[in-house]
Amino acid sequence: MMTKLKIPIGPHHPLLKEPISFLLTVEGERVLESSMRLGYVHRGIERLCQERTYVQAVHLIERICGICSHVHSTAYSHAVETLLGLEVPLRTHYIRALLCELERIHSHLLWLGVLAKNIGLDTVFMYTWRDREIVLDIMEELSGGRVSHTINIIGGVKIDLDQKMMDMISEKLEELAPKLTIALGLFENEPTVRLRTQGIGVITKEVARRHCVVGPIARASGVDIDVRRDVPRPPYNNLEFNVITHTDGDVWARTLVRIMETRESHRLIQQILSQLPPGDISVKAKRRVSPGEVVSRFEAPRGELFYYIRSDGSDQPARIKIRTPTLPALSTLPEQLRDVNLADAPVILSGVDLCIACADR
Amino acid sequence: MELNWLQDILTKIECVGPFDIRRLPEDETWVVIPFDKVFDFVKFIMEDDSTWHLSTITGQDTGSQIELLYHFWLGHGLTICARLAYENPQIKSITALIPGAAFYEREAAEMLGISFTDLKDESVLLLSDAWVKGWPLRKEKKEKHDD
Amino acid sequence: MSIIKSILRWARKKSLWVLHYNSGGCNGCDIEIVDLLTPRFDVERLGILAEASPRHADVLLCTGPVTAQSRDRLIQIYNQMPAPKWVIAVGSCGCSGGVFTGSYNIHGGIDKAIPVSMYIPGCPCRPEAVIAGILKLSETID
Repeated sequence: MMTKLKIPIGPHHPLLKEPISFLLTVEGERVLESSMRLGYVHRGIERLCQERTYVQAVHLIERICGICSHVHSTAYSHAVETLLGLEVPLRTHYIRALLCELERIHSHLLWLGVLAKNIGLDTVFMYTWRDREIVLDIMEELSGGRVSHTINIIGGVKIDLDQKMMDMISEKLEELAPKLTIALGLFENEPTVRLRTQGIGVITKEVARRHCVVGPIARASGVDIDVRRDVPRPPYNNLEFNVITHTDGDVWARTLVRIMETRESHRLIQQILSQLPPGDISVKAKRRVSPGEVVSRFEAPRGELFYYIRSDGSDQPARIKIRTPTLPALSTLPEQLRDVNLADAPVILSGVDLCIACADR
Repeated sequence: MELNWLQDILTKIECVGPFDIRRLPEDETWVVIPFDKVFDFVKFIMEDDSTWHLSTITGQDTGSQIELLYHFWLGHGLTICARLAYENPQIKSITALIPGAAFYEREAAEMLGISFTDLKDESVLLLSDAWVKGWPLRKEKKEKHDD
Repeated sequence: MSIIKSILRWARKKSLWVLHYNSGGCNGCDIEIVDLLTPRFDVERLGILAEASPRHADVLLCTGPVTAQSRDRLIQIYNQMPAPKWVIAVGSCGCSGGVFTGSYNIHGGIDKAIPVSMYIPGCPCRPEAVIAGILKLSETID
């Protein structure tokens, strides 16, 4: 009878980019169960937002997470505009969606590199992060920042696109497209990759629904949800795209779903650029918001991003509630880390696409 | 959201009218329910609708009472509002029906001091081990961590 | 003995090994630091290796404001590093707490917990700025 050991992973660990603490109970080479401790990155953003004005809060909301900062500020700005009863120009919706899709591509490529590093494919890590630089270059040309864009204001956006910029975006994305095809081929067919990711970290459809999982993890388990299709709002109600699902529910299925989503995002960007309507990019917004409540849902790279804002008539929000998509994914980890090999634990942790800064807020 | 469907469920859980139902922007329906009927309401939603999804549970201090909002997505948005008193706010946990609600309830508990009965793991989720006392999202003066 | 000392000094100046720790930041500066290892910026050509253990590292590249939960771990990691050691606070949050100043769960910048040798501002900090910072630090080593 082997003794049970408790092995900590984190808060500082080579495989984690952010601090979170896992405690794995191990017997021999099998992980029996696990527990986790969040809160290392908790900055109290919901309380801080209540002490700022609506305009100041945009900068705070953007810094919840560095990887998906634009979709956070888009969801927030959209919610406040709805409370104000503002109708932003159609061009604004298209520009916001353009950056959302670019962010989705960059986030998935980032994750792919990190997964490859954790399964021992260092070369693929180098290649995907090198290809990701193409997307960061586009975002830098558009907004001035590689990671933090700050293009959203209450009432619209601050940047506009001219023909030269749109041609540059199309050209650079054409450079990226064949590399995505190679990555998909690699992860679909290469036997060593499949050995390390197939059958690992399986979440069945029932477990995914009971834990309210969202995003690529839910879609890889067969749950067909995607806020871009379910909440019809411009420009997605005029664009054609597929919602990619898979049935296996393991890390391999999630990888395939994410790579194919990157290709769908490329298609979406091409449609956005060809359909971009003329017009203004913003409208004037009042500082004081009349009393009311609003719920705003957007599709972040990791899934459904949820904002609830309550206003009490002043220029400061009375309550902002943010639920990021990583939180339900984290709640499935005890299930995934039950009775698995210790050597598969890093792959399971990578497969969940942890964004602890988002989860802790 | 079909108002009739909603009113049917409210009658099934023995709620007495008039019902406080409002429409919020972006296709959201809001309904106030007595806090002791929330568990049954959620049970009926899950039985009646196969596409249910719980987005999150929001706790807030409105100045006069504590409100717990359960945000559902059923093809359209549905928010259930349960109102609790300031002194010893208590409500039954829905983790027996939806295990994924545990994180949301733990967060509401530590941020507002709400006590969820039947919640198995009541440990602190986001606040630090050095947090002394006080609830950060209550309107009253917040306590700082122990330096 | 002075020959050995000058060899050690040369090795330390020319090849600083770094350890990266995120003490509560939004991840923006962290992905820019991990970018340093990738082909476009490639810090390995400058002798800078990213290490996994505090015992192997000369420089602690620290990002993010110090949260209440993270503070003790940060101090422990700093204490585990062998002397001579340096700390670089990367990003506005690391320098002073950034946009999160005033929060109930934040102590402030990195210097509220451990002594900092160099501050690199930016929100987020560009990879070129981090490289320039590390190289500037190596010039001050004697």
